[in-house]
Amino acid sequence: MKRRIGVIALAVMLITTMLAGCATKTNDTATEKEGSQTEKVKLRFASWDSAEDLDMQQNLVDQFNEEHDNIEVVLEAYGDDFDTKISAGMGSNDAPDIMYMWNYPAYYEGLEPLDAYLEKEGADFKAGYYDALWDYNSMNGEIYGMPVGFTTHCVYYNKDIFDQAGLEYPQKGWTWDDLIATATTITEKADGVKGFSYQLVADPYDFEMFLWSNDTAIADENGVMEGNLNSDQAIYVFEMYQQMQKDGIAIATEKGGSDEMRSGKTGMFIYGSWAINTFKEDNLNFGIVELPSFASSGKDSVSILSSSGISMSKDSKYKDEAWEFIKYWTGEELNKARIEYELPVLNSVVESENIMEDELKAPFYSMLEQSAGYVPTSFVIDDWSRVCDNLELAFERIFNPSTLEDAKTVLDEAVKQ
Amino acid sequence: MKMSKKTKIILYAVLSIFAIYFLAPFIYMLFTVFKTEAEAVAYPPSLLPENWLWSNFVDAWNSQEFGTFLLNSLTVTVLTTIGQVFSCSLVAYGFARYHFKGKNVLFTILLATMMIPWEVTMIPQYMQFKIFNWINTLKPLIVPSFFGSAYYIFLMRQFLMGVSKEYEDAARIDGARAFQIYYKIYMPILKPQLILVGVLNMLTVWNDYLGPLIFLQDRSKFTLALGLASFKGVHSTQIIPMLCITVIMIIPPIIIFVAAQKYIVEGTGGSIK
Amino acid sequence: MKSKRWIKKATPFFFISPWIIGFLVFTVGPLLFSLVMSFFDWPIMRTPAFSGIANYVEMFTKDAQFYKSLSITLKYAAIFVPLNMVLALLLAMLITQPVKGVKFFRTIYYIPSVISGVAISIIWKWILNGDYGILNYLLSLIGIEGPNWLVDPAWALFAVILASAFGVGVMMLIFYADIKKIPIALYEAAAIDGASPIKQFFKITLPIITPTILFNLVTSIISAFQQLTLVMLLTGGGPLKSTYFYGMFVYDNAFKHHRLGYASANAWVMFIIILLLTMIVFRSSTAWVYYESEPKAKGGGKK
Repeated sequence: MKRRIGVIALAVMLITTMLAGCATKTNDTATEKEGSQTEKVKLRFASWDSAEDLDMQQNLVDQFNEEHDNIEVVLEAYGDDFDTKISAGMGSNDAPDIMYMWNYPAYYEGLEPLDAYLEKEGADFKAGYYDALWDYNSMNGEIYGMPVGFTTHCVYYNKDIFDQAGLEYPQKGWTWDDLIATATTITEKADGVKGFSYQLVADPYDFEMFLWSNDTAIADENGVMEGNLNSDQAIYVFEMYQQMQKDGIAIATEKGGSDEMRSGKTGMFIYGSWAINTFKEDNLNFGIVELPSFASSGKDSVSILSSSGISMSKDSKYKDEAWEFIKYWTGEELNKARIEYELPVLNSVVESENIMEDELKAPFYSMLEQSAGYVPTSFVIDDWSRVCDNLELAFERIFNPSTLEDAKTVLDEAVKQ
Repeated sequence: MKMSKKTKIILYAVLSIFAIYFLAPFIYMLFTVFKTEAEAVAYPPSLLPENWLWSNFVDAWNSQEFGTFLLNSLTVTVLTTIGQVFSCSLVAYGFARYHFKGKNVLFTILLATMMIPWEVTMIPQYMQFKIFNWINTLKPLIVPSFFGSAYYIFLMRQFLMGVSKEYEDAARIDGARAFQIYYKIYMPILKPQLILVGVLNMLTVWNDYLGPLIFLQDRSKFTLALGLASFKGVHSTQIIPMLCITVIMIIPPIIIFVAAQKYIVEGTGGSIK
Repeated sequence: MKSKRWIKKATPFFFISPWIIGFLVFTVGPLLFSLVMSFFDWPIMRTPAFSGIANYVEMFTKDAQFYKSLSITLKYAAIFVPLNMVLALLLAMLITQPVKGVKFFRTIYYIPSVISGVAISIIWKWILNGDYGILNYLLSLIGIEGPNWLVDPAWALFAVILASAFGVGVMMLIFYADIKKIPIALYEAAAIDGASPIKQFFKITLPIITPTILFNLVTSIISAFQQLTLVMLLTGGGPLKSTYFYGMFVYDNAFKHHRLGYASANAWVMFIIILLLTMIVFRSSTAWVYYESEPKAKGGGKK
């Protein structure tokens, strides 16, 4: 008899769980109507920031809550585990109402398109943001996130090391040949220092910017990699990078070089604006300059945009209120408040704060202007996450000091996957 | 058992070599918590900090609501330990000292549950807890422990099967009932093992990061381990606060372990009668 | 009379009822649901579509990474499990020796397993760093140029094993608790009969602790196969995917590629493998595990 009870219990459990999975959707719509009237609307806002920036974020959220009687936003900080939490949330119909977002290809299906909301605000609203950013926050022609911050990539250089090597500081418009020459001099003249450092496991998304600078790409607008990733120009870029290691003027490191910069082991590296504050706190004597161009390409250097956006879950029960918060978070006041760690996206703020006078920040904006009109392959290829994985492995085979495989062979293989 | 001096020396030597392996990273960490962030990543690595920044601890503790985290961690740890010790010993006793139809099948199922990779049950479990309305509470972390966990049940069962049956036979002759035998005879005998289970559980739960990560949303419900993980950002890790909190987090387990050692060591030692 | 018989039969069930209830409520539902998921194409955000055994077919025929990850994990288990067991047993024996200060060593060996996994990964990553890690620095002091542990595919797996041995304290403690239980009288009697310490170990200690050896062996195998957090934080599966354990393979399929159905299938295959291995171990255990007492099937077994 015990056995039979067990079997029945099992069946009940199983059925309940499955029904519940389907039922939650219907439950949600039922309560949606009553929710937004009398009581406070509670919104969940997920951020990927780590501990050091949280205090400030919490203050900004508190401010919003004070100014809005009927809305209460709760800040949820996930740090490095942001992707896990969001995936889990979306997978179980429990995504936060509002969240930071950058990986639109992977998540856009769980997000609410914002075009309609933007239109309601009038044409000027949208125009206040840097144009190039909208492409990075859209999928298939629809906008899924409001730009919150962005960065392009530039070259950081250690002024002290340059002085030690008797070198002039690099200027906008320089070329990769200049960079290589500089790195060589640094390695020769400064003891124990490598001229340049770059990431061992190169992120295909980021690395594409070098291919763009040399007039090619990972794939064309139809997602075809053959003839692009393994084009002569692309191979040139990879071999150039690899050669720097072979010549001993550069090191391939895990995180791309920020640690090496901080400990004075390298003279230059390429990164977004994220390191500015850390380096300032370290009292590092550094400068920032635009990316070098490829002399043979005849064009300016191009950078990838790492754009952060803020999005709304398509299952949110309080979309209008969420939109209010989104507007707040991307508004002038907050752009200014976050200036120290996210480059502002509003034209007006850039002007009013004289960002262009800041020699550390201005290069990022000039790169932004030079990089308009490029669409990353990640937005084009359907199963990008799988392709990206394969590309990462391929790039690592080329750049890992223990392997340093021949670029052409590896890339020819890569395009076939 | 008398030991020759030579044996003693060899013994100490071997003990020390292993000790270095275990201790060295720990010592390095203990010195590094006083350094600045830049010193921590410097090369060649220095052992001693330039300045002994005790303030690092204060800064780390204040950087998030660690007071609240501590409370939550304590709640979860204490409650789950009580739950596990009671439920696991009960269940293990059933498996170890009785023979009944289906025992092997059930025990195999029990073991099988240990082998389930969490990635997969995670989302269905999350959905289930959402139905119960337990998400964003500490309940998913606490309640299941009152129903036993395969690992400890298995462990207790092995211990139980190693105990001589003479005790039980004697008690039965005296007319004791099942539960009394369990409670009055076996539990006292296995006190060291019970304490072991308690300690193991405490330490696992104290450091548990995955569970809280999945089921908690509000920072006010976070545990210490989750607060610790928050120092890991997308672009950089703040090593110093992370190490500071790690050091702070180690102190209670060490105290508990040292205190519990006494009990685990005692054991039944010699007497059979 | 009949009711007494019934109570007697039902008693064991009363004892194990907490687990049965917990199992039914917390485990069965999610478990079976995940099995069902494995027969679907279940992208996280779109609607799932039934796909039969397609996931399993893909895994075994089209996914080279499946085999690679599996073999890396098997290799790790084959090295790590025996290594860990021997180390734990050795350390446990060491700390049962009645010498002064052994308590101190006991604590030292155990402490690392008490440190949060996240912190351990960070610490080891730092130690193993090829350029500024302290391990290579120490090696350089005695003239050895240490490899770039976390960057060189040839050494990365070894680095992972090195870092995971750090947690041997738990197993050591379990062995220790069991060894301590052995009556000293047994050893004294053997010594009187002229048995050397080594003989005592093999003839007394080892047989008596076979139940815990079994426990540690089984749990060790299981955790070797499920290894994820340490390797994720230490190497991220690299370099060149040389430490891309099966656990990471499943995790990425679920949370990076958002293919829950496929990941569920992966997990069930791993589950079956572990199950088979454990069954083999258990079958063999009747030959080498010695239980002090074991309830016999028919009433009144003799000792």
